[in-house]
Amino acid sequence: MPTVSFTARVASRYVFATLAIGLTTALLYLWRSSLGTPLMALLYLLPVGLSTAYWGLGPGVLTAVWAFLAFNYFFIEPNFTLVVHRTEDTLVLLVFLVVAVVISQLVGRAQAGLAAAKAREREATRLYELSTAMAGLLDVQAIGRTLCEQVKSTFQADRVQLAATGGGPFPAPEVSLPPEAMSSPTAATLIAILQTARGQLGEIRLWRNSAPISNSEDRLLRTFASQGALALERAWLAEAEQRARVLEESDRLKSAVLSSVSHELRTPLATIKAAATSLRSGEIAWESAARAELLGAIDDESDHLNRLVGNLLDMSRIEAGALRPSRQWNLLQEIVGGVVERMRPLTGQHRLELDLPEDLPLIPVDYVQIEQVFTNLISNCLKYAPPRTVIGVIARPSGDGSLQVQVSNQGPPVPEQDLDRIFDKFYRITAADRVTGTGLGLSICKGIVEAHGGRIWAENLPVGFAFNFTLPMTWDGTPPPSLPPEAGPE
Amino acid sequence: MTSRPRVLVIDDEPQILRALRTILGEKRFEVTTATRGEEGLARAAADPPDVIILDLGLPDMDGLTVIERLREWTQVPIIVLSVREADADKVAALDKGGDDYLTKPFSIEELLARIRVALRHDARMRGSLGETIVTAGPISIDLAQHSVLRNGEEVKLSATEFRLLAYLAANAGRVLTHRGILTTVWGPTEADHVEYLRVYVRQLRKKLEPDPERPQFVLTEPGVGYRFLADD
Repeated sequence: MPTVSFTARVASRYVFATLAIGLTTALLYLWRSSLGTPLMALLYLLPVGLSTAYWGLGPGVLTAVWAFLAFNYFFIEPNFTLVVHRTEDTLVLLVFLVVAVVISQLVGRAQAGLAAAKAREREATRLYELSTAMAGLLDVQAIGRTLCEQVKSTFQADRVQLAATGGGPFPAPEVSLPPEAMSSPTAATLIAILQTARGQLGEIRLWRNSAPISNSEDRLLRTFASQGALALERAWLAEAEQRARVLEESDRLKSAVLSSVSHELRTPLATIKAAATSLRSGEIAWESAARAELLGAIDDESDHLNRLVGNLLDMSRIEAGALRPSRQWNLLQEIVGGVVERMRPLTGQHRLELDLPEDLPLIPVDYVQIEQVFTNLISNCLKYAPPRTVIGVIARPSGDGSLQVQVSNQGPPVPEQDLDRIFDKFYRITAADRVTGTGLGLSICKGIVEAHGGRIWAENLPVGFAFNFTLPMTWDGTPPPSLPPEAGPE
Repeated sequence: MTSRPRVLVIDDEPQILRALRTILGEKRFEVTTATRGEEGLARAAADPPDVIILDLGLPDMDGLTVIERLREWTQVPIIVLSVREADADKVAALDKGGDDYLTKPFSIEELLARIRVALRHDARMRGSLGETIVTAGPISIDLAQHSVLRNGEEVKLSATEFRLLAYLAANAGRVLTHRGILTTVWGPTEADHVEYLRVYVRQLRKKLEPDPERPQFVLTEPGVGYRFLADD
């Protein structure tokens, strides 16, 4: 038990009150020859008043009774008896008793009033502290914790628990102080319910052994509970508002995506339709250049449409978090080689320079996805860098156990403030009608690289512009495997 | 084989059926079609085709089941059609006995090339003695003599390198899955070690390809496996 128990403290007050009268009596007895009876009566009032002031009404009244008895016993003739012979003495004793009791009553009441005022001030201070502590909080867990901490310190409680009960709009967070014991074998000393207009959120439970709960404390805990309920409700409403705003935003984004996508889909469709109908019209000569041109347009534009649909599907998978790389140990040289070979018809105007060291280790990546990263980055370079310039691909192991790859070109720089934003969906620095594409290529790269646990960023070079990204070189901490021993050459 | 090879197309898209019937008919194939798996199986049994083109996304049954049921009784070449988003299905279909695959949308040249390879491979498997020498550009592989020439000069290959190249070359034109190659060349216990393949293919390319960084003969099929491109 941390403090002396309440009953022991109260009992000690009565003991002190009794001792005070004993001491007064002893002093008066020493100087009894020089003091008259009326003066003694006055001096006895002193401990009565002080006892009441310090220890309250009960001990005050007790001192009054003790003083009356001691005065009578020791100083009223005949001494050492409680018998009184003289009428005058009887009168003195009676007046003394009345005065002593009245004084103790008056002082006691004033004391009680003062104590009540102080208690109210303390309550007000505590409430103020509670509401200040919770004012800035929008996280329900933090609110619950603060509430419990304040209750624990205000009530000097052994244990405080906040529990979700009832069917309110949302449950209160579960908090327990001290944290170790969530459930307690004994029943709580006091329980207050967290109630809002929308329903009951939970209840706050308090355990205290040192002193019983007074009425004012009971009231104070209820006030704490209602303050806590309000704070929780405020946090909940703020969160609901935030959710509504996000929904609204994603709705807005969706219609932007739809309008952009339908524009992008219609452009190749328009080309295909025009080419096919003019071929059907019979007005194009069978062996003419125009005919070959139109057929080429249909072929190219249907590929374009196919890429567009693929990009949209990839993007939606990335956004749904459904893009899971199916990793295998792969050689970067093979991936890049495949991309370069496949893009050969498109790269005629540029020079591709690969700098991939022979001893690059195997990397645990999804072949198809990383191939797509290179395809998208290189076609982005082809789109923006002027013809007859160099597009470079460099890969080096970096110090932190990852592989760093750079795809660079000698195209125009990108404004610094746009370097991050070029990986956003549908973000273009150039007006959309001047370049072809979906506006999704780079954000798909970002999604793929991040799904592999790497990161991607762009930078301006002294001459040109570069994309950088990192890829892991270990697979859940496992380094590249070694190969089986080889039987000698055949 | 008759002069007009018979093709069975199993696909639930009427537009695809219409286009393939027209185009393959022009190319002197005899085309039958089915829009459901059960119907396709019944047609294949009633009038065995020379090659089957099978879409993996059928309304009544899984394309993989169709392959399994066909492989219970016939080795007819099966060319699988799939969409790019179903890579895993495609590999499963090949591992279950599919011969090759095409990703929609595909060009007709690609489809005809796949059909040609499948028919030729099938004919070879039926016993008409297969060629033992495979040539691809400057490369000449003698499967019987275990020798490889490049521009007329002998190329030194390790035993594993040769087994790998021989398996690829014997199946020239066909896609071979990682699992299939690993099982054949390294053995069934090593079927998941794609890294062996990556490294050995790179070594082969360095010894055989004119430009190993841009291979023309040992081709990577992303996410699926490898294909050896030989001269026709």
